Amino acid sequence: MSAVVDTVSAESLLLRAGQGEDEAFAELYDLMAPRAYGICLRVLRDRAQAEEVAQEVLIEVWRTAARFDAQRGSALAWITTIAHRRAVDRVRSSQAAGDRERRAAAEADFTMDPVADAAARRIEHRQVRRCLKALTELQHRAVTLAYYGGYTYQQVAGLLDAAVPTVKSRIRDGLVKLRDCLEASR
Amino acid sequence: MSDDVHALIGAWVLDAVEDDERRRIEAHVLQCESCAREAAELREAVARLSDTVVAEPPPELRDRVLAGARGTRQDPAAAPRRPRPARRTRWRHPKLRLAIGAAALAVVAAFAGVFATWQVMRAPDEDGSQMTAVLEAPDANVAVQDAEGGGRVTVVYSAELDRAVVVVSGLADIGEDRSYQVWLVDAAGQVSAGVMDPGDSSATMLLDGLGDTEVVGLTSEPAGGSDQPTTPMIADLALPA
Repeated sequence: MSAVVDTVSAESLLLRAGQGEDEAFAELYDLMAPRAYGICLRVLRDRAQAEEVAQEVLIEVWRTAARFDAQRGSALAWITTIAHRRAVDRVRSSQAAGDRERRAAAEADFTMDPVADAAARRIEHRQVRRCLKALTELQHRAVTLAYYGGYTYQQVAGLLDAAVPTVKSRIRDGLVKLRDCLEASR
Repeated sequence: MSDDVHALIGAWVLDAVEDDERRRIEAHVLQCESCAREAAELREAVARLSDTVVAEPPPELRDRVLAGARGTRQDPAAAPRRPRPARRTRWRHPKLRLAIGAAALAVVAAFAGVFATWQVMRAPDEDGSQMTAVLEAPDANVAVQDAEGGGRVTVVYSAELDRAVVVVSGLADIGEDRSYQVWLVDAAGQVSAGVMDPGDSSATMLLDGLGDTEVVGLTSEPAGGSDQPTTPMIADLALPA
């Protein structure tokens, strides 16, 4: 398992998958499935559902691969966007986990299990955590609840007892700061 | 609305918006290059949030995904902002326009709860009966929006039939050298659904093969229409789900 994605090969594998090359898709699977599955697992908090949604996600990646345009974004963003969107759709339609549980899980530290712990030592992982820490508390909690918890910004506002417009702008400011921080540490 | 939509770009890239907001933002971003750029940059940062959740999937998932892929036909590449020649637009002659327009408005009223009480004037040809079928479909839903500058756009959509009837009425006068044009917007871009006759401010059309369309939009274009919208949308209706 790797938290580090070789972005160059992810792009070329996705492009080749888009040409119908199934060997390239199999390699892309090995590179990206732990991420797609990991996103689903984090948002859904349920292994069986995460597996089911990750399967849909990865087949969708194959189906739509020819539409990937490397000019408009990375393969990493393409695939994680599909995975997150699908996981969020599922969590909102099924409300599988109780809200309180979801909230706690979304905000939990990332060192709950040994696997995550091992990954935490990786440099990219540390980078993201460091950059998240650079956000203000409200930015951090809003971004975290939205991404890892699958909440809408209105729900986040309710959970944090903050005004909706405030949360909306903190999410955006937080992401801008995150982007700047990640770019600076490249 | 556009300020409002713009402020939601952060929430949108986190999938932290409701479905109807998502459609509106996507329609907006397609017309707003700086928004698209900002969204793409933020998306790269958001993608990195997944660094911390990487988890080994169960080994059997690999076989299932690869088998699933083998059995799944790939979508063709999005031709750069493709025209879809297969989608034929059928504008109705004025009399029928009026009739169907009235029917669509009746549908709007019907959603107040009296669905079965109205009658659609039967049109003589295939298009007319297809329109009727959309208007009468059990899953038909209606969206209505006032267009900027005046007039109104009504979309009656049946997911089951994969068709929609669009009724445009009473738009602002644009003169004979411009045409109103209807667009279908999905995540991959927008395609023309049809160009109204130059100067016309009311019309009714049948759309089929809606596929992934999320928004029906309307712009004013040079007479005869454009390949891509050259002015901001004056109406943008999320397909009523």
